[in-house]
Amino acid sequence: MDARRAVTVWSALAFAALAVFVASLAMGSVPMSPVRVLHALVSPGNDVLDEIVRTLRLPRALGGFASGALLAMAGALLQVLLRNPLAEPYVLGVSGGAAAFALAAMLFSMSWWSVDLAAFAGAFLSILLVLGLARRELWRGEPQDASPRLLLTGAVIAAGWGALITLMLAVAPENRLRGMVFWLTGDLNGVAMPWPALIALLVALIAIVPAAPQLNVLLRGDMAAEALGVRVVRLRLRVYLVASLAAAAAVTTAGTIGFVGLVVPHVLRLAFGNDQRMLLPASALAGGLAVMGADLIARTVIAPAQLPVGVITALIGVPVFLWMLLRRTR
Amino acid sequence: MNSLHVNRLTLRAADRVLIADLTQTFAPGEMWCIAGPNGAGKTTLISALAGLSKDASDAISLDGRALKEWRSNDLARRRALMPQAAHDAFSATVLDTVMLNRFPHLTGWGWESNADRAAAHAALEALGLASFASRDVQSLSGGERQRVSLAATLCQDAPLLLLDEPLSHLDLHHQIDCLEVLSEWIEANNRSVIFSCHDLNLARRFATHALLLDGAGGSSAGLVRDVLTPERASVAFGYPLTLIEQDGHEALVPVMRSISR
Repeated sequence: MDARRAVTVWSALAFAALAVFVASLAMGSVPMSPVRVLHALVSPGNDVLDEIVRTLRLPRALGGFASGALLAMAGALLQVLLRNPLAEPYVLGVSGGAAAFALAAMLFSMSWWSVDLAAFAGAFLSILLVLGLARRELWRGEPQDASPRLLLTGAVIAAGWGALITLMLAVAPENRLRGMVFWLTGDLNGVAMPWPALIALLVALIAIVPAAPQLNVLLRGDMAAEALGVRVVRLRLRVYLVASLAAAAAVTTAGTIGFVGLVVPHVLRLAFGNDQRMLLPASALAGGLAVMGADLIARTVIAPAQLPVGVITALIGVPVFLWMLLRRTR
Repeated sequence: MNSLHVNRLTLRAADRVLIADLTQTFAPGEMWCIAGPNGAGKTTLISALAGLSKDASDAISLDGRALKEWRSNDLARRRALMPQAAHDAFSATVLDTVMLNRFPHLTGWGWESNADRAAAHAALEALGLASFASRDVQSLSGGERQRVSLAATLCQDAPLLLLDEPLSHLDLHHQIDCLEVLSEWIEANNRSVIFSCHDLNLARRFATHALLLDGAGGSSAGLVRDVLTPERASVAFGYPLTLIEQDGHEALVPVMRSISR
């Protein structure tokens, strides 16, 4: 991998993402041409078409892109931090905390923005909990191999949240259950404010992409990385914070969309190799592309009814990923 | 001046003293073997010498400066460490894996230059791994991984090598090849090697000096033939050894239980 090849990968993914973005704005129950879409974006009038693009499709496409990008990047980061191919954005309990709090807010039928707020608060609480319990691994520790303990700590906290979620689903009244299940699967319906997630994406990229060469080294082991001049403990904390806050921002925007955070980084690794300098920006682009595309399918395939986007990401992602994985071992 | 100096170093594991009050200078041009029984503190000592142990880095100095005063990047260009085991959770080519050790030399946006790539190829070449460059590290055998790790350490281009059991998993032929590569590598100015090893005979043949740990805090250091003697090794390893000689070749061998009685 060199810089030129990385730029080629990024450009191709960015171009594909742009195409899906335009398609997301153009397609739906009221189809329109890309030219009409451009017109609605550049010089909007009071036409109903302009209204649809600006207040419905644009926030939804941007929200989908941002949350997919955040999830894929968080997944790539946690796979490196835990040196474990099975790691994904939710493995350390961030989404569990978000879901438990969001569902509680829905149970008490609070407004949509308090559900978002509760989700973020839950995610944040979960992050603090892991930071406190795994402080030896994350910020005090010596450069020893800490990933198994950190992984177990996070996984157990996630299991705890899981129990609370099941409890709430069990006692929830019939009429709220559907909304709660949609939230848990991941749903972009009603995303009106994509900006917090987009800003979070930008901040996360700026915070972690410069550390990509260090992350490559970290994969060889904590001792090896420390001996090469990487401040391992500090880097570990930085990676954990960026990945968790990225996951928190994504979950707050779109619920717990599954599969993207696990699989997008692996698909890119299989296709282009495991160089974090290429992989982190590429994960952001490909994750955004995947969720935006899946949401386009989710809201058009059985229109006017809508499916939760998380169902589509997994339904398409599972066969694609298995095909890539198995083709390679032959 | 250009040496690694240990001044009254004490190393502990939990409440057990591994090394008590060690004072020793490792000078350029010397190839040191650290020997001793399991759990005697060889790995602990090597990582302390690399500056990875906070408690010990006061007592150890390199080029006249205490290890803890070194900037981590400068230190990484001055000494290279080969840990006992490396992780490879994800697939990567051998070349990319070896090139990771160019990290201390990266500039700008952190992409390798052609010089870094050439250094990695040269290191692979030196260890007879040139044809492995595009192989996946996950497909390698234990011994091949070990040689890839050694190539990575060499390509870091640091004058002091600290190698933790570089010969483990290697067959005899490759053990000797690696030691010959190191003996040749050390010829250049100001280079030195410190490695831990369980094969006392290879150590006697290739190392210039030895540090023998007894696992109870004691140690003896000096020219390899003065330290790895049957008497001292017998005491350190807790098993009687004898030196046999044939046609100018020497070997330390364990005494048969029945004869030793």
